[in-house]
Amino acid sequence: MDDIQLNNILESYNQKMEQVQGLNMQCFETLQKNKTQAKLKSLINFKLFAVGLGVLWLSFLSYLFYFSLEKASIFFIISCGAVILFSLLAIVVYLHHINLISKINNSESVIAAQERITKLKLSTLNITRILFLQTPFYCTFWWTTNMIVDSPFSFWFISFPVALFFTFASLWLYRNISIKNVNKKWFRILFNSPEWNSLERANSFLEEIQVFKKGI
Amino acid sequence: MNKQEEQAILMGQIKDNERIIFKICNSYCSNKNDREDLAQEIIYHLLKSYHSFSDRYRFSTWMYRVALNVAISFYRKNKSKKALIYDEIKSDHKDEVSHSAELEDNLTILGKYIGQLKEFDKALMILYLESKSYKEISEILGITETNVATKISRVKEVLKQKFSNLKN
Repeated sequence: MDDIQLNNILESYNQKMEQVQGLNMQCFETLQKNKTQAKLKSLINFKLFAVGLGVLWLSFLSYLFYFSLEKASIFFIISCGAVILFSLLAIVVYLHHINLISKINNSESVIAAQERITKLKLSTLNITRILFLQTPFYCTFWWTTNMIVDSPFSFWFISFPVALFFTFASLWLYRNISIKNVNKKWFRILFNSPEWNSLERANSFLEEIQVFKKGI
Repeated sequence: MNKQEEQAILMGQIKDNERIIFKICNSYCSNKNDREDLAQEIIYHLLKSYHSFSDRYRFSTWMYRVALNVAISFYRKNKSKKALIYDEIKSDHKDEVSHSAELEDNLTILGKYIGQLKEFDKALMILYLESKSYKEISEILGITETNVATKISRVKEVLKQKFSNLKN
């Protein structure tokens, strides 16, 4: 088959596709009330709801922190303060993320825009990494100096090792929860949910983008 | 010019180029409702992104960029909504164009081939079928002209092979 024959087939196909509109373009007129806008609105509402929950949690912790400053043990104050800081950091990162999503520019070239969208999607991992760092403090908030003096055995052989384990585990997760490990077995076991599966797909899409860009 | 007038002018320009939307929707969605959803989403994003339109590019280049970006994101969100393949078009629109049996077979092969392509290759095919220059394709997709030429010649070789196999 030569180029002319091939071009004729391609042209016929193109003509056929032009005739198949199959679209009710009344959507031009009804655009103002369309479901797209409703869908986008619901997405924004969901994200705002998540931020709202985060702020409520933060307010509750701040209330506890403030009113326990004089009475509570030093362990409670440090743990509560640390959880407040990490939660605040996660909310700030989340808000920054929402802001970046709202600024996605679809009029960039297809590869550039898709790469940006996919990287943004994968950046949700950062929020999870930060949130994991607070886990050891959930093991220490109930410690008291009396507990160490009165029951040294249970403290040094149970409570302390548990907190130490969570400290190492959270630091390890903070270092290792990243795009490059999305395909690892431990990652899949830990984050086996539709949302995380979509991250895996986003990662392979990013690889597709790189391949397409290089022209392999 | 107020916002409503600006929007009316843009809607006029979009209507003049509506076949871009038809083609992209037909290429990325099989179901009629999905195609309408996608068309609405594309139009919404065209209106939303109008401030980013610059005279550096032709209107159709800008429109292709926005429409393809929205279609690819839509397609990735709804992977189960498989792309339109030629067999389905043929059964929906039997009476529109009659071709020779051989050409029909070739068109079916071509339709299936395009239907199976990945998102970016599909975009490349849509633009190539539209007879866009390599320069414009490279501006829309964001890859080099050499890369466009390489990919297109590869696609053409695959198609020639497929059509020749059919003949034999």
